[in-house]
Amino acid sequence: MTIPTYMGLQTALSGLEAAQAAIDTTGQNIANASTPGYSRQQVNLTERSPLTIPALSSYTGQGSQLGAGVDITSITRIRDTFLDSQYRSQNSQTSADNTNAQILGQAQASLNEPTSSGLSSVLDTFFQGFNTYSTASNQDGSTQTIIGDGQAVADSLNTLSGQITTLQSQVTQQYDTLTDPTSGAVASDANSIAQLNVQIAQAQSAGLNANDLEDQRDNAIDDLSQYSNVYVSTQSNGMVNVSFGNAASAAQNGTTDATPLVDGGTVNLSQNLSDSNLSGSSGTLGSLLGLYDSTTGTGTLSNYLTTLNGVANQLVTTVNGAISSADSQGATAPAFFDPSGTTAATIAVNPSLSSTSTPYTAAEASAVNALSGGSAEQTYQAFVTQVGGDVQSAQNSQSTSQSLLTAIGNQRQSVSGVSLDEEMTNLIQFQQAYQASARVESTINDTFTSLLSMVSG
Amino acid sequence: MIGRITNQMAAQTTLSGIESALDRLDTTQQELSTGKQINQPSDNPSGTALTLQLNNDLANLSSYNSNVTDGTGWTQAQTGALSDVTNAVQRIQELVTEAANGTQSQADMSASADEVNQLIDEIKQDANTQYNGQYVFSGSATTTAPYQSGSSDSYAGNTNAVTREIGPNTSLTVSANLSGVLGTGQTVAGQPAGDGLLLNTLRNISDDMQSGNSSALGSTDLTNLSSGLNSLLGLSATVGSTTDRLQMASSRIASLQNSASDSLSNTQDADMAQTEINFSTQQAALTAALQAGASIVQESLMNFLGSTSG
Repeated sequence: MTIPTYMGLQTALSGLEAAQAAIDTTGQNIANASTPGYSRQQVNLTERSPLTIPALSSYTGQGSQLGAGVDITSITRIRDTFLDSQYRSQNSQTSADNTNAQILGQAQASLNEPTSSGLSSVLDTFFQGFNTYSTASNQDGSTQTIIGDGQAVADSLNTLSGQITTLQSQVTQQYDTLTDPTSGAVASDANSIAQLNVQIAQAQSAGLNANDLEDQRDNAIDDLSQYSNVYVSTQSNGMVNVSFGNAASAAQNGTTDATPLVDGGTVNLSQNLSDSNLSGSSGTLGSLLGLYDSTTGTGTLSNYLTTLNGVANQLVTTVNGAISSADSQGATAPAFFDPSGTTAATIAVNPSLSSTSTPYTAAEASAVNALSGGSAEQTYQAFVTQVGGDVQSAQNSQSTSQSLLTAIGNQRQSVSGVSLDEEMTNLIQFQQAYQASARVESTINDTFTSLLSMVSG
Repeated sequence: MIGRITNQMAAQTTLSGIESALDRLDTTQQELSTGKQINQPSDNPSGTALTLQLNNDLANLSSYNSNVTDGTGWTQAQTGALSDVTNAVQRIQELVTEAANGTQSQADMSASADEVNQLIDEIKQDANTQYNGQYVFSGSATTTAPYQSGSSDSYAGNTNAVTREIGPNTSLTVSANLSGVLGTGQTVAGQPAGDGLLLNTLRNISDDMQSGNSSALGSTDLTNLSSGLNSLLGLSATVGSTTDRLQMASSRIASLQNSASDSLSNTQDADMAQTEINFSTQQAALTAALQAGASIVQESLMNFLGSTSG
């Protein structure tokens, strides 16, 4: 048996094609070196089925297999799905910590402690005013001072209460914006994932690897994971189902999710964007609900407001109580704080005070001064400590989870990211392979040319 | 650990290194510019609570301190007035002693009676002494003058105490009961009967001098006068001990203020030397991160391939 004449040309051609595909893929990798979510791609090569030539040896009569070149079997992306799920779970945690640290930081900033304009200092000044009143000769002037100081206390509490209420509505607004079924970020991510699912399934049914579409889909799932927990399960047709919120945690533990957020090409928003599915979950949405849940009116910020209302109530009760119990003459001294306003938002100085020239006796004023450092101030100091502790722990978790996210992100980059040095090395290797295959072509060509010239000659 | 290092990783690592170096610098810079290590409660929650508590203590101490200053003003005014009253009474004692030996003429006695009446007015003037616009011998009726000049010796004040808070649950009486020594004079003008206190005695002395009753002057008047003088000296001693207590309170408050300020400074103030050193170290770290980043991110295989690949 003889070897087919042009087989060598075909073998060299397959080498040229493989090298060209490899160079093109290297080009694609370099072009996307900075594209977020891009996974580097590689050309998978195998040897072509060899040509079996029976009885190649005329001496022994034994046959042999002659190599027929190289085959490009596929172009695949290099990605570790285990790292993906780790990254997404850490991404949820980091977003939750960021949200907590940001909102609680704002609550802390509104306290304005420890400064000379914080409520604590304002209260100190307020009680000092009563001391001055109790020793002053001209109590008309001191009356204006205690009324002014009292108004400063009321204003501070009113402002604090207002700022926390504003934070609550900001939290609700942020939550509503993210979960809006038409324009919300969750809906937009879910819709992208569903559309990509359909396109990927089409490509796969045609026997193609939809590398770039899968990258885009993974990117959308990464983005979705900042809002709450996600759990991804891959279907045989290449589509993925994405569970969301508490349903994702349950799915991770083996419970079947009947209505995943993304179910192949369809999206189930209403079942997944409920308070019950998101409350207590990770991510921005879970964190926002933990800070303030507008449906139940609960959350960390509501607790803050309750404590502040307690401070206001204690102030009104103790100051008015001290005045009336020191009221020895039986004359009914007017209440200092309006008894009807016992919350931080409604506390106010008794409006009828300003028309009275010397409303209190020295004994009454000194009874109020004796409240300095009392229960209201202690409650407020404990409150400041609590807020400070909350912010500190939120910031600590934030920095821990941020570095964990960076570490996992780096591991993912280590697997999937493009290294330009590596691509340059590959480029040289593939270029030389191409040149070598070309040289084989021209050598075979030369061989035939000399043979033909001998025949024609 | 990590096998492959990609360009994005190198850039990310460089960036996060620079960011965290800047973040630390920012915190240190805030400490340096405010001079405090607690700038918001989260910097040190328990330290913040202590800061607020100490500020409250300092505010209370400052109230006590101003009360002590005010009380000291009262007792100083009282001491001055009481010493004037004592001088006047002693002068009257001399006049009575002279008149009682029976050698003076009626004209001399009348002149002494006039002087006694003037001295009574002076005593009542002294009793009307004010400190910071408040009558210091009027009980708690500090806006009412205790005595009127002239023949009426009625007392217009009350006997309630005026107190000043000089410590937690510690109040000190700063009013002095001068009316308990002076009394309200004669019940009916020209009649010796009355409460038997100093003004009553002085009026009797004046009347006895006017009428030349030297025997009464030498006996009951002189006895009553010296018992009045004794109560006056007793009152001065009480005021003196109040002044002592105020002085002790003042030095106690000053030392408490010192220790509270020290604790406050220890809690919230930054250790400037340490912070400066931290700042320099962190600045050096930032510079190093920037330099390393600038050279690592720039280098790649391309720098060395030259035209071979082109």
